[in-house]
Amino acid sequence: MSDFWDRYGRSVSICHRMPPVLKLALAISVIVAGVAIPVRYWPAYGVLGCLVFAGHSIAGIPLGYLIKRLLIFLPFVGSMAISLPLSQGLDRGWDLMLQIMFRGCLAFLVSLWLVNVMPFEQLLVTLRKLRVPAVVVAILAFMYRYVFVVWDELDKMRTARKARSFSGGSLWFRWRTLSQMIGMLLIRSLNRAERIHGAMCSRGWDGEVRWLDDQD
Amino acid sequence: MHIQDGYLSTSVCLATGAVSLGAVAYSLHRMKDSLGERTVPLTGMMGSLIFAGQMVNFPIGLPVSGHLMGGVLAAAILGPWAGCIAVTLVLVAQWALFSDGGLLALGANVLHMAVLGSIGGYAVMTTVRKLLGGGFRGTVAGSVVAAWLAVLAASAVFCLEFRLSYAASDFDFGNIFTLMVTLHALIGVGEAIITGFVVSVIYQQRPDLIDMAQQVDATVASSASRFAAAGLVCALAVAAFAAPFASDLPDGLDSVVDRFRIATSEDSTAGLFADYDQIPITGWQSLSISVAGIGGSLAVFAAAVLIGRAIPVNTPTIAVEATGE
Repeated sequence: MSDFWDRYGRSVSICHRMPPVLKLALAISVIVAGVAIPVRYWPAYGVLGCLVFAGHSIAGIPLGYLIKRLLIFLPFVGSMAISLPLSQGLDRGWDLMLQIMFRGCLAFLVSLWLVNVMPFEQLLVTLRKLRVPAVVVAILAFMYRYVFVVWDELDKMRTARKARSFSGGSLWFRWRTLSQMIGMLLIRSLNRAERIHGAMCSRGWDGEVRWLDDQD
Repeated sequence: MHIQDGYLSTSVCLATGAVSLGAVAYSLHRMKDSLGERTVPLTGMMGSLIFAGQMVNFPIGLPVSGHLMGGVLAAAILGPWAGCIAVTLVLVAQWALFSDGGLLALGANVLHMAVLGSIGGYAVMTTVRKLLGGGFRGTVAGSVVAAWLAVLAASAVFCLEFRLSYAASDFDFGNIFTLMVTLHALIGVGEAIITGFVVSVIYQQRPDLIDMAQQVDATVASSASRFAAAGLVCALAVAAFAAPFASDLPDGLDSVVDRFRIATSEDSTAGLFADYDQIPITGWQSLSISVAGIGGSLAVFAAAVLIGRAIPVNTPTIAVEATGE
């Protein structure tokens, strides 16, 4: 599952070798430009679009992957944007809908580029260099470490549920089963967190986050 | 529920970002007092759980399906401050992994889901819980009501943000807000039912986990500020229903918006619609809003009663030690 999001995060290109702060700054500035430039300067959008596609092609991210991700993303941004003309009786709001969808897709493609040239670990190191509080970075690192474990647990529970054919029933029953699954997952996860906490304490954890390169 | 980049203007994004940053910084400060050195594993695991829990699709009998948002749930377990941090970091990770939610809009998303969802939701939950005298039913009813009100409050704040992002002449805000509020009254009922079920499971299996948050509450949140926060969430939820009606009325808001717009040179298509007469609030809007408000309240009340009743209460008296299994 993790492979799908940042599938190209570990390949090699000029984009991947850029200093992480520069990647972050580039992505943020293109997103800000995309949202802030008024529509009447529309040629600027063409320039931004070319920039984004150039970035993706230099980073070696295939077009097929972009299209696949964009197809998953479009219903989300589209369903919200379509509510504009829908609520206006279909005679107004189309221009704004297009504007929102275009800006949304542009920002999405930029984020996608960033995700695929900057692995999560690198983001954590960068955040730490940017003086984000150590606790925040540590929690994010912990989340990234264990989210896959929790997912596996969820997958096991889903399989068990399917094997016992708990899929039918009334809507109320299904909601109850699914919620109870989340509840049990929560309890198991927190049990795991307590065990991990115990293991951390036995290795000298005192709540202070230390990093290996703190000396310099 | 996630706002993508492009919905809100840059200035609104920056303003909401500043508010969220303040709230998150304050939560960080309070979180350390309440959880101590357990902060990192507990908050991190809660974040992973919400992340995974949002992957569970709840069928609603249509092609689309709903999922958990988790602000109130995180606060029920970790308390308001760590809950807010957990949800905030889930949003950050969702942006960094899925590119979901947008970077500029992160501040707005944090404000809606973490600040209103966790801190506001917690205040409502504890207040309702205390009013009902605690216990299983009080806890479940509190979480159900809090989850619904938090979603409505978020939709009210979104209406305001959206209104500030665009010129009054661009389109009729009453209509779009009616749609938003009606939709969120429904989404909120879903969130309320899921949260209620999950909390009831936890209360039966590990009541100590919920009491953990309650102990946090006893030490760090005074009842006065909790009442104030709960009142604010309720007021915002009520404001959500007023938003469609109020959107065309206040001249003050318009002038603020216009000044905002000129200051940021945000584009407007005023020229196209300059002579368009604003539609007054028509019958279907007030009908829709009334149905959303009354129907939503009834559904949430029914959910609170049903979830509290559906499962026999057999809370273990001794909490199971979670070591070495």
